[in-house]
Amino acid sequence: MASVTTSASLHHAIVLDRQELAPGVVLLGFDAPELVRVTQPGHFVMIAPPSGERAAIALGVYEARGNRASVLFFVVGKRTAELAELHAGEQIELAGPLGNAFTIDGARNVAIVAGGTGIASVLLAAQRLVSSGARVRLYYGARTAELLVDRERFVRDGCELLVSTDDGSMGYTGYITDLLAQTNDVPDSILACGPTPMLRAVARVAGEMNVPAQLSIEETFACGVGGCWGCVVPLVRSSAQAPSFPPAERNGSDVVYARVCKEGPVFWAHELRW
Amino acid sequence: MVDASGVDLSVKIGKLELPYPTFMGSGCYGSGEEFEPFVDLSRLGAIVLKSVTRMPRLGNPTPRLVHTPAGMLNAIGLQNPGIDWYLEHDVAKFASRPCVVVGSVAGFSIDDYAYVSERLAARDEIDALEVNISCPNVASEGETFACDPNLTAKVVRAVRATTGKTLIVKLSPNVTDIASIAREAEAAGADALAVINTVRGMAIDVERWHPRLGNVTGGLSGAAIRPIAVLAVYEVARAVQIPIIGQGGIETTSDALEFFLAGASAISIGTANFTDPQIPIRIVDELAEYLRLRNVRSLAKIVGKANVGFSNAYQYEGDEG
Repeated sequence: MASVTTSASLHHAIVLDRQELAPGVVLLGFDAPELVRVTQPGHFVMIAPPSGERAAIALGVYEARGNRASVLFFVVGKRTAELAELHAGEQIELAGPLGNAFTIDGARNVAIVAGGTGIASVLLAAQRLVSSGARVRLYYGARTAELLVDRERFVRDGCELLVSTDDGSMGYTGYITDLLAQTNDVPDSILACGPTPMLRAVARVAGEMNVPAQLSIEETFACGVGGCWGCVVPLVRSSAQAPSFPPAERNGSDVVYARVCKEGPVFWAHELRW
Repeated sequence: MVDASGVDLSVKIGKLELPYPTFMGSGCYGSGEEFEPFVDLSRLGAIVLKSVTRMPRLGNPTPRLVHTPAGMLNAIGLQNPGIDWYLEHDVAKFASRPCVVVGSVAGFSIDDYAYVSERLAARDEIDALEVNISCPNVASEGETFACDPNLTAKVVRAVRATTGKTLIVKLSPNVTDIASIAREAEAAGADALAVINTVRGMAIDVERWHPRLGNVTGGLSGAAIRPIAVLAVYEVARAVQIPIIGQGGIETTSDALEFFLAGASAISIGTANFTDPQIPIRIVDELAEYLRLRNVRSLAKIVGKANVGFSNAYQYEGDEG
């Protein structure tokens, strides 16, 4: 797994553009050249809600090119609603890039699995893989076709697109992980981001295929920088990512809680004990 | 330290002399290094480290966090590597922090507290100790001490006997009479009181019919608890002579002023750092400006000024020019 970034800083970014990709799904571009320079695929940022009255919100970096970075998010509560109200010219405060990054070196045939909001954290990895000459299939699942946002972008950037919807309005009807499990062309690497039930299913399918899978985990954050130990996942102690903790008194000695925001958000599926 | 504007914001807490009256709350700030990319640590008064216990602790099951109206619930459960590991691997790096470093001690028996305190306080990297007798998230154990005046006294006496370093005792709001606990802590040798720890609370997922926290209950922090904390400071300030570090939902300079005026000599910032790590610095700068505009030359002069009958209050004499 790529090492944890040490080049994070605070950024005062000006919003460049705002686009509603679907009802309640917003793409927000902002001017942050320093952030772009050091962001790796899988990194996230913490954005302070403009009112300053609520905790900062963690969002994967969607695009990062030139002076412009962007985040893609679904309006699910008050904090994301505040962000969705921003328009070009307004300023946002954000910290990043944070967390670790996907390991993408050497993969030739990659399946990227994205569920719903998970799409927001995998574009940079897809772009990097395509430019390295890898074959990239995007398995993209959502509740309904309308929420398969920005899917054509991935096709333009060189990915093969396979989609599923819960309601059958586009592609396979059912879970995206079922579609992945059905493939006869087994990838040599799997990257995934999405709701936890989907990630668990990816881990299972990857295990059956005997393919290493990297899961970018969505979890509730408080600080986002490793200070509060609120966003943890159970990890095998032998993992290179496991924080150096001596065995604790219960649940055996082989598991340690790792911070999604610091040791993660990307973990090897076979090292999680959830 | 006298600010460039001529206002003195320094504060003395026990043997600690801090240039700024700002503590970073235990458990919210890691060991400081996590926030170093985002804030100049030399502009903070002190960092209170995450609590350490005698034995390693796995911590509570997940989820450990829930965002709630004007605040958040947490139930981390004192995840920490235990004092042996902590002393061997972690403490040395605290020497490089450009501000005061306060170690935090938690335990499950009086002997635990004394043992961990003695070993931690022996280290030069640790400037002072905070005794966390008020963690609400360790199943019926930790907080017991802060809810019983006699147990509070016993713990504080035991810890006091282990060190001459400044001793801060962190009190729980989850009690009937916080003033009586505060008096016991003072009598047992505390140099200062941290008021308050989080308020117990819970949230339920109405789709799953299940508590949202893995630990079922948690500690509420953030703006939601500020009025509770201001009152606690007000009541404790009338009961003791030792300094109070006021905390609970401080997000702005105005919030901080409420605590000083209620009787706190210093403040601690926790959850607000999660919104903006620059908040402690902004508050310090704005406090200096607030006082300068009112011709008040030192922060100490306004401590307790809103506390009716507060015997220890400095007499405010509007400094001329």
